[in-house]
Amino acid sequence: MKEKKTQSVLNRILVNCAAQAKEYGGCVAAKVPEVECDMCLKQFLALKNCMQNTPSIGLSGSGALSHVYIQYPPLRCSIPESRGLHYDDGTKLLIPSTSNQIFSWKTVPFNPLATSTSDSIPEGPILSIRFSLDTKLIAIQRSSSEIQFWIRETSEAFSHRCRSDSENILGFFWTDCPLCDFVVVKNSGLDLFAYDSVAKSLDLVEMRKLNVCWYVYTHESRLVLLASGMQCRTFTGFQLSSAGIVRLPKFDMAMAKPEANSKPVLAAEDVYIVTVYGRIYCLQVDRVAMLLHSYRFYRDAVVQQGSLPIYSRKIAVSVVDNVLLVHQIDAKVVILYDIFADSRAPISAPLPLQSRGFPRSYSSSSRSSGKDGECSEVNNKIDHEGIIYGDNWTFIVPDLICDVSNNFLWKIHLDLEASAISYLAIAASSSETPSVLEFLQRRKLEAIKAKQLCLGIARTVILERRPVSMVSKAIDVLVSSYSLSLKTGSYFKGIKTESTSSGVAKTSVARSNTDVSTSRIDGTSIRHESTAGVDSEYPSRASTFSASESEENASSAPLRTDSRDLQLGGGKVDRVNLTGAHSSGPTDNPVFVNISEQQDSELTSPAISPDEMYKFVFAAVEEEMVGDPSYLVSIIVEFLCSTNMEKIKVHPNLYVLAIQLLARNERYAELESFVTNKILEPSKEVALQLLESGRQNIQTRKLGLEMLRQLSLHHDYVSLLVQDGRYNEALRYARKYQVTTVRPALFLQAACSSNNSQHLAAVLRFFSDFIPDFRTTSDFTTYYGILNEMNTSVAATSF
Amino acid sequence: MGLASASTATDGMQLCIFDLRRGQNEGQELDKILFFFPADLPFSTQLSVIGLSEGLITFTRIFSPEAACEVIEAERHSHVFYEAETDIWMVMVVEKGKDSDAIWRIDALRKVLKEVHSLFVMFYGSIRAMLEKDPSGGLIRSHLYPFIMDYLSDFPVGKKLQLPSFRDCLKERGTVQMLTMGREAAIEVQSLVSVLDSCAGNSSSYSMILFHDLLVSTTLSPDDTINLFTYAALRLSPNALSSGVNSWSYIRRGSTSSHFVSGSALTHSGPVSEQIYHSSDTSPVGNNINRVTRALQHGKWYKGKDGFLVTDIWGVVVGSLVCATPTVWLQQTEEAMYLCPYQFKSLTLILLIPVSSILNGEQGVALVKQQLLENASLKILKVEEKLSKGWGGENAYHVSGYRYLLVDGDRNISRASPPGKVTTLAKESLLALSKLRDEVDLEKSRAKRDNAGCEKDLEVSIRAKNNAWAVARITGGKELYMVLEKASETLLYASDAVEKFSNRYCNGAFSLD
Repeated sequence: MKEKKTQSVLNRILVNCAAQAKEYGGCVAAKVPEVECDMCLKQFLALKNCMQNTPSIGLSGSGALSHVYIQYPPLRCSIPESRGLHYDDGTKLLIPSTSNQIFSWKTVPFNPLATSTSDSIPEGPILSIRFSLDTKLIAIQRSSSEIQFWIRETSEAFSHRCRSDSENILGFFWTDCPLCDFVVVKNSGLDLFAYDSVAKSLDLVEMRKLNVCWYVYTHESRLVLLASGMQCRTFTGFQLSSAGIVRLPKFDMAMAKPEANSKPVLAAEDVYIVTVYGRIYCLQVDRVAMLLHSYRFYRDAVVQQGSLPIYSRKIAVSVVDNVLLVHQIDAKVVILYDIFADSRAPISAPLPLQSRGFPRSYSSSSRSSGKDGECSEVNNKIDHEGIIYGDNWTFIVPDLICDVSNNFLWKIHLDLEASAISYLAIAASSSETPSVLEFLQRRKLEAIKAKQLCLGIARTVILERRPVSMVSKAIDVLVSSYSLSLKTGSYFKGIKTESTSSGVAKTSVARSNTDVSTSRIDGTSIRHESTAGVDSEYPSRASTFSASESEENASSAPLRTDSRDLQLGGGKVDRVNLTGAHSSGPTDNPVFVNISEQQDSELTSPAISPDEMYKFVFAAVEEEMVGDPSYLVSIIVEFLCSTNMEKIKVHPNLYVLAIQLLARNERYAELESFVTNKILEPSKEVALQLLESGRQNIQTRKLGLEMLRQLSLHHDYVSLLVQDGRYNEALRYARKYQVTTVRPALFLQAACSSNNSQHLAAVLRFFSDFIPDFRTTSDFTTYYGILNEMNTSVAATSF
Repeated sequence: MGLASASTATDGMQLCIFDLRRGQNEGQELDKILFFFPADLPFSTQLSVIGLSEGLITFTRIFSPEAACEVIEAERHSHVFYEAETDIWMVMVVEKGKDSDAIWRIDALRKVLKEVHSLFVMFYGSIRAMLEKDPSGGLIRSHLYPFIMDYLSDFPVGKKLQLPSFRDCLKERGTVQMLTMGREAAIEVQSLVSVLDSCAGNSSSYSMILFHDLLVSTTLSPDDTINLFTYAALRLSPNALSSGVNSWSYIRRGSTSSHFVSGSALTHSGPVSEQIYHSSDTSPVGNNINRVTRALQHGKWYKGKDGFLVTDIWGVVVGSLVCATPTVWLQQTEEAMYLCPYQFKSLTLILLIPVSSILNGEQGVALVKQQLLENASLKILKVEEKLSKGWGGENAYHVSGYRYLLVDGDRNISRASPPGKVTTLAKESLLALSKLRDEVDLEKSRAKRDNAGCEKDLEVSIRAKNNAWAVARITGGKELYMVLEKASETLLYASDAVEKFSNRYCNGAFSLD
């Protein structure tokens, strides 16, 4: 059983490497917020080595372990006479260009072997390129005042120029906003155009006058932020989504002053728009204070959320599977944050980004950690093909790295196992295991792996007999996550895919012809999945969202109520968003980004059903557990408590297990109260187990019989009564409920063995009346003979 | 028999405990008396009661060595026998028909004897063990006397003892009354139980939870559950705590001295007492009298600031003002346990911690209590809230039109119409049911003797003088007694009503066909 094997991996790690994990966690806890190159690396390597030496752990097949890695080979898009490399985040195309030709590589799904398509375009300078969302048009910025449009079908071109010379085009993008198709950002404001496909021209729809220093836009968030002011720190935001245009309130970003009179100017490269769990954040680097400020966007407010420390002059930000990665480029390390919770604590120590799968193998484990002063020197080089965190690296939100000089595109991956272990190690020092489970339950990319890890952690905490209260919290996390996934319908999808992927964790990237990352990028997560296959209209989709969301409002924990949340469709895991009352006021229709990409059925939920909990946690643990089973009983009770709270059905097997455990402990009185109070819900399985356990305890057997009777399982009840020799009662019952399936011979046998001729006669008589043709059966003749014999012998002895 | 009946100074009731192994020689007869109530009866009278009982026991043993005499019905008295421990007998003599209420159900009286003995054993261990410890008998006498007097003080009506009579035929002593709760509450309770169990660390502690005076949960064995439940309902429940002060005055009016009972009893018993109890005054055992703990003493429990119930019955820890934690013996494991009751509103939790597991005495107990407060407070709050919400009040288990008693003999659980409702029944109805129960008791014990293990089903309906129906049904170890006072109705109606009740409230357990 492959699955079984992978499950026990984490167990073994956590059991075998507890010391190393503790050391690592302690180190991180002690040193953060200080940071240095390869901090806690020694401890981490120890932990890693321990893991690798633990038998039968083929951690992802790679020899090395790190939280974040890039996988060789990259997408190579080198073309002869390349003049420039562009990335269009609207269509997710990587576009190298020559003077009269452009090539485009699809980056989603990320496939290093992807081939390009090429278009010949009129010769001229290329400042930037963006394909229209249906990829029929190509917009090419030729100069600061001219954009040329290239119609691919007909190879026609037309141009758009600024009206006055004072205007400068800062940038442009295509949008799926119903009002307009094309937006031009100029230093004097926004121009919104509609494309007229007949006249092959742009019609100006709307102008927004505004002084703009620079702007930031991501297609993922549909959000454009326009910087203005002397320090370029005053921002106006617009969200141009399929639901329309939302203007965000003006806000200022915080900037510390280096000295009294100097006023630093905020640069475009210091501002990032990221979407995490469907929420839109803006991250701003404050170089003076060495902080990364985060702002969260709501419909009518922008709220500063807190700041993360940074340890490098230069940083970059990526988001992989809703985990925020802050690359400290000078220090050449990356720190992971899960900003779902309010906690600003990192979930991992700063560790280098790792490259995996190079043809020439050298893993970081081969280098000695004794070389002080040298900071992961080996790791910094990627063969001849580039340097990790080199100057020519451009980070593309959310998870791509573009090596401009080599025309490489890397995709950043998160090693879920390593992250989880590292997080667990950190959390263990504060016994925050439940928060690790929460983190894992929020993972969408490698749902199966996350699920395995969750199961592993659950097993481990039980096997280690952690305090019941802690385990109970952990169980609560898993159950409520499952309940949520049931409501959103994502769970059943998960089952389907799981059955085909058989627990192999790394499947998603390689084997999908569908688009895993797209759906994450769009922040839609699993809601769309439930409607996958249905080519739904955006408006109707939006309305189904609201409907189902209001259902969830009732159940989801009231973490915070932000009805004003500026949303990106989805965010299924985002319970915070869901708590808001989306049913009243102008916030009735939160802003959703429409999703044009093909939805994916590969996406699964890491939620764990009660059946799986039984199979992979309770049953598995029960096998391994030694000693007093009452601990496991308490855990099962806690589990029942959680499931009852969420109104989830539990598989009878779990009840059966509970009975076995209680009976093993000879806690029959308690077992009785479990059954009478219906903590163990009645079912045939439960009843049969009670009968089985009742071999040692007659009361328990009675409970089982009683349960059979109450469940109206007449046949079983009557057979058991006969077995117990209570054939009279059985007959009465059989008559009352017309049970004809129990063979008369059984009754006759029982009556016969009681050696009471009157009883035997009565039973014979009963069947003669009860079953029409009974007198003709062999049973009748046999037992009639026996009865006669009995009578004569009685007569004989009485004389 | 005449001798026994001759006593006049009593309230019509005599209770004695004696040991057949003692005082077998002429002149030492007094030695066998371990307890006699009333104590001020002349020894000659005491001895005649005991002599008669002993004689009957010896005689009946000839025919039935296993189960000797159970009861003697004389013209004016009933003698109820109970062999508490091997050769240690308890005999209760009650007067018949002196007044209209003096109509007894023998089994109910025997249950009283059984109960007082079980409680005694829970606190002090078996009588035999104590006799072996102090063969003079002083120790056991000094323990039995105050204990039983305290116990009997729960039966007072005015100056008289009100023993269970026919009016109590819809009650069953020696059973536990359970609270019925929903699944959700039950799970919460179970969750609380596991927290309680974990409070004492790895040692095997037990817990019991009561709501008002109904049992919610227990991890004890059935016998221990009954004993502790009885004690809790008598002395620890919120009800008992608030009313205890008023009702304890039967024997000791106004006095608070803890060893007063034994002391005064001894002096009251006149010059002869010197003979029996002489050892208590002279030997070192005499000191023990002063240290006898009166486990059943009234009004001695009160709620501390931390929510734990404390009492000074068990004395005060030397050198401090901390009350010593009571200890009890568990029948099943024969282990001494610290008894730590905690109360929150109507919820009473009793934690039993093995004495052997706590090395540093009171300090260790305090630590466990601390643990309980830290770990369980929240859950206690939650459980109390859940149970209160589902609690139907005093008359929660009243079923209109029915006066019933439901006994689950296997689980030692009973449920009955609330006492307030039972009092509305006519005397004739109660008398009829009491008689019916007597018959059923007889039938039951007969069946038990004849073929142990096989349960007998039984259904009896009788019509009382006032045309009420008294019904008894026994099936599969469960018993249902019922009075239906719709005078004009037929047997068919009565049977139908029972059927309905059975289906509605007993999961059809009594629906015979």
